Amino acid sequence: MNAEPDNPQLDTAAVARLHDLDPDGRHGVVRRVLTAFEASLERMLVQFTAEQSNGRADVVSGLAHTLKSSSASVGALALAKACAEAEQRLRNAASDDLGAEVLLLTRECKLALAAVRAILQAPL
Amino acid sequence: MSLPTAFEDASFATAPEVLLVDDDEVNLMLTAFALRERGFRIVEASSGEAALELLRDHVPDIVVLDALMPGLDGFDTCRALRVMPGLDTVPVLMLTGLDDDASITRAYRAGATDFFVKAAQWSLLAGRLQYLLRASRTRIELERSKSKLARAQDLARMGSFDWRRNERGVVGGLVLSPEALRVLNLGPQDRADLRTVLRMVPPDDRRSLMRQLQAVGQQSSVLTADVPMVLLDGRKRMLHIEAEPEFNEQGQGAGYTGILQDVTDRRAAEDKILELANFDALTGLPNRRQLIWRAERALEQARRLSHQFAVLLIDLDRFKVINDTLGHGAGDEVLVEVGRRLRGCVRHSDQVMEGALEVTGARSHRALEAIGRLGGDEFLALLPEVADDEDAERVAFRVLEALRQPICVSGQECFVTASVGVALYPRDGHSVVDLLRNSDVAMYSVKAQGKNASAIYSPQLAGQGREKLEMETDLHKAIERNELVLHYQPKVDVRAAAMVGAEALMRWQRGGRLVPPGEFIPLAEDTGLIVPLSEWALREAAKQARVWQQAFGFDDAIAVNLPSRLFERSDLVEHIHQCVTAVSVPHRMIQLEITEDNLMQELQNVIPSLHRLNEIGVEISIDDFGTGYSSLAYLTTLPISELKIDRSFVRDLGITPQSSAVVTAIIALARSLGLRVIAEGVETLRQMDVLHRLGCGVMQGFLFSRAVPSEDLQRWLEQTVLPRKAPWIGVALDGPQGSGGPLVMGRKLRY
Repeated sequence: MNAEPDNPQLDTAAVARLHDLDPDGRHGVVRRVLTAFEASLERMLVQFTAEQSNGRADVVSGLAHTLKSSSASVGALALAKACAEAEQRLRNAASDDLGAEVLLLTRECKLALAAVRAILQAPL
Repeated sequence: MSLPTAFEDASFATAPEVLLVDDDEVNLMLTAFALRERGFRIVEASSGEAALELLRDHVPDIVVLDALMPGLDGFDTCRALRVMPGLDTVPVLMLTGLDDDASITRAYRAGATDFFVKAAQWSLLAGRLQYLLRASRTRIELERSKSKLARAQDLARMGSFDWRRNERGVVGGLVLSPEALRVLNLGPQDRADLRTVLRMVPPDDRRSLMRQLQAVGQQSSVLTADVPMVLLDGRKRMLHIEAEPEFNEQGQGAGYTGILQDVTDRRAAEDKILELANFDALTGLPNRRQLIWRAERALEQARRLSHQFAVLLIDLDRFKVINDTLGHGAGDEVLVEVGRRLRGCVRHSDQVMEGALEVTGARSHRALEAIGRLGGDEFLALLPEVADDEDAERVAFRVLEALRQPICVSGQECFVTASVGVALYPRDGHSVVDLLRNSDVAMYSVKAQGKNASAIYSPQLAGQGREKLEMETDLHKAIERNELVLHYQPKVDVRAAAMVGAEALMRWQRGGRLVPPGEFIPLAEDTGLIVPLSEWALREAAKQARVWQQAFGFDDAIAVNLPSRLFERSDLVEHIHQCVTAVSVPHRMIQLEITEDNLMQELQNVIPSLHRLNEIGVEISIDDFGTGYSSLAYLTTLPISELKIDRSFVRDLGITPQSSAVVTAIIALARSLGLRVIAEGVETLRQMDVLHRLGCGVMQGFLFSRAVPSEDLQRWLEQTVLPRKAPWIGVALDGPQGSGGPLVMGRKLRY
């Protein structure tokens, strides 16, 4: 289990790639993507909470799959890694503790959410 | 930053449209942004269901599907869209996870075109999309091109085939495309193996085709063949086959791939063109081009094998008369029949020859032997090998014999004769041009000597030809140089011992020599100079009439000989009118003589002129009467005034009883038609006596006077006739009177 960083941040290279999509910021791509990601994380957190007790492994694995690629895209690498690993374990039935997996993912989600919000709240 | 756009390869007229399907909003948004930046148009769908809904009324250029989605996942979506109309060939790119091998397999099974690992590397994704779009475009173009080819092949009655050898246990054989089956009049379901196809080839051609196939197959060379076939419905077609060998990895011939095409129509057209280019359309005989080609080949062979060959130029005599009197249609019929008969005179070969002469033996040049039509009424016989003159003459004789029987056209029997000129290689020329020219010279010598015969070229003939050419040139200038003169022969009324008219006869003083009419009149007729010559004669005769009128009160007619073609001219009457009015003598002082032969040949064309001449007082006399084949029925209607008994009957008078019978008949005929009669060529007192006894009192001949210059005629009158000194004068006066009466004009005593 990775140590929790004090100041969670998004991967700078990934964020730079987002900027590259809209170099002059005309389309507000970075903000729109991050806002969408924020909303997505919020939805996920609600769903993870719902799956915490008596959840289904395939549902959690599906959530992890979806979150995996979007978090990688915005640079939430720790979350992406956690999703990939959880998805892998759940799909291979290598984990019998669904609650622990959900807990882990929830924690990573929250960290990523904090990082996204930090960026979104920073002055442009 | 400028990103490469999706339509840099100009194959997309507009930005390609991508349907992007992803349940994750963030990914959807990012991918859409990234692709739009790269020139794609993006339609977004956040689920498989939404995507299928969009696809119901719109087909994008490409579909990008996230594999794992809640609800309808990418695989199900792909399967579903593949069965929708218009979407069976749209490229579908499936987005999968990095280590998701199972998804990749499932993606292909579901009908995806390709897969792509989900990642934030947009350039790679865009590149992959471009590749897929290009591949799809190429595929579409191939499909179009394939259907165009099929259509084009159908139109061109063409189809493709493949033939594979049996190889390593794999059974080969012939595979025909549907178009090729159609060419063979077979349906797409019909089986057509090589055996079936070969059975459509007629046996003889099949054997040679098999030999060719074997030879080509052994060397793995290109096959090109035109093969006649009889299709199952019995139609005969000509198929063109072209095939190239194909080789396996070991470089051994594995089979053939090629096309077959129905070229029946093209071949027919080619044959027709070849025929038109080489054969005369009217007679079907080789034409000038083909004849010259054959002659050139014959010459090469003769040179190589040191033998002689001959050309016979065959020119029909007086063919123009047939054309003019019976019409061109009849003329054509005659030519066709002549062609048919001539063809029988040689070992005629109709084989079309072009390009190289196929040497199939030392005597292959025999196949060049032919009769052909050079043009007009001129034919050529080509004898590729002759031993000597006699060989060629034998053929010339056969030609003349073949024409002896009359040809029936337009319900009328035509007698056609020909003049044949022969030239032999190498004696009479070393080139085809020389041989043709010299056969022409020989042919003209036949014409000059009375036609309907043959002659072999000799250098002397060429000399004559040159002479003739010079004479022609001189004759052109004779009028302006005042070299032409008229001599006059008196027409005499023997009982009255008086001159009752004169015949004007043309003479040509050429370089100190007096050329008799027999030498230059035919030339003038051939060249058309006869027209200005005759017009000159009419002018001169009118002037002379005026001179004599003033000198000794001449009040009769001067007769001028005119060929029929003058009578055909619409300005003849006007011309005569001008001649007589210019010298103030009456029209009746000019009389016209036309030979019976000439008159009968051109009868229909001449009659209108005869009537008009008669109306203005110009009388017409028929010359050489009795030698032609006058229809007596015509004689009764023609506006003529006089018949001149031909000298041949006069010559034999008192010698053969037949001649006096003919003369008697002519006199009786003339009398019954109310025509005057005059005998020409009277040379003896005995002839004069007989004629007089038979009832012909007006005569012309050496007995009285030759044709002499005008001043001599006047002297003859003054010194011989008026003093009554000539030996014939007493005889006539003393002779029996009996039958002379109405035909003699006794009022001319004052001459």
